[in-house]
Amino acid sequence: MAESPARTAFAEEALTHLDTLYRGALRLTRDPDQAQDLVQEAYLRALRYQHSYQQGTNMKAWLFAIMRNLFWDRFKGSRKEDVSLDDVGEFVLYDKLRDEGARPEADVLDKLAASEVVEAVEKLPPLHREVVLLVDVEGFSYKDAAQALGVPIGTVMSRLHRARQQLQKSLYDYALESGIVRGSNNNQVHE
Amino acid sequence: MDCPDCKEKLDRYVDRELSSTEVLELQLHLEGCPDCSDQYEFQAHLKRLVKHSCDCDSAPAAFREKLRQILT
Repeated sequence: MAESPARTAFAEEALTHLDTLYRGALRLTRDPDQAQDLVQEAYLRALRYQHSYQQGTNMKAWLFAIMRNLFWDRFKGSRKEDVSLDDVGEFVLYDKLRDEGARPEADVLDKLAASEVVEAVEKLPPLHREVVLLVDVEGFSYKDAAQALGVPIGTVMSRLHRARQQLQKSLYDYALESGIVRGSNNNQVHE
Repeated sequence: MDCPDCKEKLDRYVDRELSSTEVLELQLHLEGCPDCSDQYEFQAHLKRLVKHSCDCDSAPAAFREKLRQILT
């Protein structure tokens, strides 16, 4: 049976955001097959609840909200048990590297492999991972991220801050393990 | 603006979330403070690194086509 032109137009517009949804689902599930299942279900749900989308608002944030809510329902049980984040304190990678005599950008950032950065992002608890995905990877404003996550803007900011601290700590640990930098008592950087 | 104020606002500056007045104040401080300026460059670089490392995946073409057939 042919779909209505309105439904087809809505679906076509929604599909322009497929890469964002797929990347988000991939980083949340860490599994391509599960990511495709999640995204497909999210699109089907979006079409079913098309009437609840308000024209002129951010469709990408709306779709992401549907996808991440399904993720929490399907993959994480009832709600957000996986929220703990190691307390790394105020870990500022820039200060740490400068204290150790490194040139933070040239000596360290330029030498980090993309795969290690992805791994560091995927190690974040999902509640913190998703805010990094929205703001840093997909370029959402705090307001749009807050809409997609269903939380106040202040919560976006605090989760983002903690996530970045943890991310910087993970990247520092990787730089230590891989020999890009040496520890605190040796102010040399490997060439 | 002093260095602690600047550092407190760097995240929001990198994320383009400051008001135009705050941006002007912060840029004025960065022009005269090499340490804060270096830290800003580092944070902006780190944000770009996270983006470029994570945004290279796109939906497989076959999946896109399958969805199009299901949805339209």
